[in-house]
Amino acid sequence: MKTLSSFAILLFAVLAAQGAEIHPPAQVTAGTAITIPTSGSGDADLYLVGPASASKRKVQAGSDISVESDQLEHAGRYVAILCASDGCASSSFFVNPAAANRLSLLVHPSRVPVGSGNGISTVAFVFDNFHNLVLKPEPVKFSVLPKGGSEVSADREAKDGVAWVRLTSAKKEGPTKLGAAIGHANEVRVVQQVAADACNLRIKASRVKNNYLIETDPVRDCSGNSVPDGTVVSFTMTDAEGKTTVDVPIKRGVAKIEMPIKGRARVTVASGVVTGNELEVGG
Amino acid sequence: MKTAALRYSLLGVGFAVLICAAAAMYLRASASGEIPRVQMNAENVGPRQIEDLTGKSIPRDYALAWQTMAQALENNRTDMLNGYFTGFEKDELTQRVKSQIKSGLHTRYQDRGHKLEAIFYAPAGDAMQLRDRAQLDMQVLDDGKVICEEPLNVEYVGIISPGADRWVVRQLQAVGTQKP
Repeated sequence: MKTLSSFAILLFAVLAAQGAEIHPPAQVTAGTAITIPTSGSGDADLYLVGPASASKRKVQAGSDISVESDQLEHAGRYVAILCASDGCASSSFFVNPAAANRLSLLVHPSRVPVGSGNGISTVAFVFDNFHNLVLKPEPVKFSVLPKGGSEVSADREAKDGVAWVRLTSAKKEGPTKLGAAIGHANEVRVVQQVAADACNLRIKASRVKNNYLIETDPVRDCSGNSVPDGTVVSFTMTDAEGKTTVDVPIKRGVAKIEMPIKGRARVTVASGVVTGNELEVGG
Repeated sequence: MKTAALRYSLLGVGFAVLICAAAAMYLRASASGEIPRVQMNAENVGPRQIEDLTGKSIPRDYALAWQTMAQALENNRTDMLNGYFTGFEKDELTQRVKSQIKSGLHTRYQDRGHKLEAIFYAPAGDAMQLRDRAQLDMQVLDDGKVICEEPLNVEYVGIISPGADRWVVRQLQAVGTQKP
């Protein structure tokens, strides 16, 4: 009888000595409310520490404690700590991203010459409604809508929350819209396609009083797009007195200059790395 | 004979206490002062290859980001986040610090190192995605009293982007635990 009562006392003591425990679910979806079962008894403090929050509130140990959805919007590791009179117990859990519904789109560059092979890079980062990066594979639809042209699209599967494509710019200058879509998100960026380097640069000369007027034909790239005004064209004259170079910006599609030429001279033209024809004038 | 045994036991216990105290002091010092160890592997990164200089600056800047984050969370200082965090990550951490201040909490990290793997480098070089296997010891303190203490082996996925003179963290998301 004495042994039995001793055993009962010991059992009671062991049970009484058991601290409060806390058992959150191991995995939670972002923006979802949960209930955390606890054991123990009496007044206690519940702490919830997550990526963007750290809260403390009074609870009753042994009861189920509810955590509102807005406290669990940020994906990552959370620690729930329950501190009662007999000590603290903690348990961690992960909040996983919700469904993909947002995109962050990086398009580079904002201006690109026409016909640039793989000249445009488009990267889409996939997020849920709470800006958590969605790591599971999701199809992202990329689209290109040139001005006055029809849309072209392609699907790419996001890996670890990232999908990307490289595009060649069109042959025709003008703005083009680049988009990426997932869920309800559709992000669009505009890339300005500009004429590439001048092509078939040609000059002609005519007499104006005592000078020569040296003038280019309308300056275009190899696809026939007008090279923008302001692009510099260099005229170089070589005569008996030596070499003279004059830089002239294109105005209204052409570049021209009046040169005083005495005797015979050779005139060449260049724009960037592109060289044009050569003229012999004077004599 | 019995007295000698007692004396040696006491001596042993005293020595153990001394070692523990020294270790605790060392750990606390390194938590705030030292830059975390970061090893980076960029062998499988794509589509762009990492430039030599970038390969050196990322581990340094990422380590400084972790150091400043640990300081911000330990001392509840949002200004510590200005240097190496931007965008949503900075907003998130700022929110965390503010809520720690409101609740009277502090979080202390003892950083035991990071194994960083570059997994995506944007073709234009304007963003990089990293996977980080971090080893940490974390303490949560309420009014200076430790209420939770645990060693962590956590895997993070991060997005960093180049700033004016450094790489800054845009996103840092814990995605799971791993075996040590």
